[in-house]
Amino acid sequence: MAPARLTIIVGMGLVSYALRAAPQLLLTGWSFPAAWDRYLRYLAYALVASIVSTTLLLSGTRLEVAAAPRRMFSLAIAVAVAMLTRNAAVGMFTGTVVALLLSWFAAV
Amino acid sequence: MLFSKSFRQGVRAAVPVWIAFIPSSFALGMAAKGYGLRLEEIVLMSALVYAGPAQYAVVEPLAMGKPALQIIIATVLMNLRFLPMSASMAPYFRRVKWTRLLWASHFISASSFVLPYVRFQQEEQESGPGGNTSEKGDEHLSFFLGIGMTAFSVWVAGTAVGYWAALSMPPGFEEAFKFILPGYFACIIAVELRERTATAICILSFLAAVPAALWNADWGWMLTAIAVATFGWRFNEWRRRV
Repeated sequence: MAPARLTIIVGMGLVSYALRAAPQLLLTGWSFPAAWDRYLRYLAYALVASIVSTTLLLSGTRLEVAAAPRRMFSLAIAVAVAMLTRNAAVGMFTGTVVALLLSWFAAV
Repeated sequence: MLFSKSFRQGVRAAVPVWIAFIPSSFALGMAAKGYGLRLEEIVLMSALVYAGPAQYAVVEPLAMGKPALQIIIATVLMNLRFLPMSASMAPYFRRVKWTRLLWASHFISASSFVLPYVRFQQEEQESGPGGNTSEKGDEHLSFFLGIGMTAFSVWVAGTAVGYWAALSMPPGFEEAFKFILPGYFACIIAVELRERTATAICILSFLAAVPAALWNADWGWMLTAIAVATFGWRFNEWRRRV
């Protein structure tokens, strides 16, 4: 395992643990304001949505122009199926199959 | 204490969490292979970080050798939601030894938080004004550990199995590895979202992230997401007041 990656993974583990353990030891009997709770939820949503689009459409600092339309189409199908079935796993599976099929057609 | 009645009740209650964890951990393992991480790296990450969205956020930056600071900050931002979760649970673990609390803290996750929290609240309501659920700290912790420890095991094992499954995929499936994790998280958001503000925040962040990342590959998407979330939150708070 690359030492730099190992250090980063351990660092990620430490900060994650600190965020979990600190309230157990320091905030007993303290209730978190509802507005802060909402903000943290919105922040998580915003970060995940940002990562979804950058992961799908970018490769490093380059926009994947050829693949972008078919990935967006696959994503739209996945989201639509997930919303219809109320099941994220089914949506993901459908979208992945569509993405795969489109990539094979594009390569032909 | 570990295999007490409360712990076993927790294990039984955790079955839906395991079912939810199987596809997401599997997808994470497959994506990690697709991005070129090693099996031991992603398994160690699952064991130490144990947080789907945060792990998902850093798989690509970690594989591409992005700055450590960026990866750590992304992890902190994604996992800030553990603060209110952990704080909400703390009153139910009163009088528990701090060493046990330190051990148990690692198993707090969004999925393993909801079940025990709802149950403890119900108990509190049922016990009435004279009841004292804080006396049950150890019992509560055992129930929580029944859920948390087993869900954690499923998460780590699922990551490894997903990685292993990706190893046996024939060439030509790279597009599936690229799509599977962002696709899954987009679907989770789509299924979960109920309120208009959160939906607008997601759409705006989704649209703004790519130009922002092209402007600054390391920090652009993250700063934009923080700005969109902050603006949406301020707007929502203002609307709630008027």
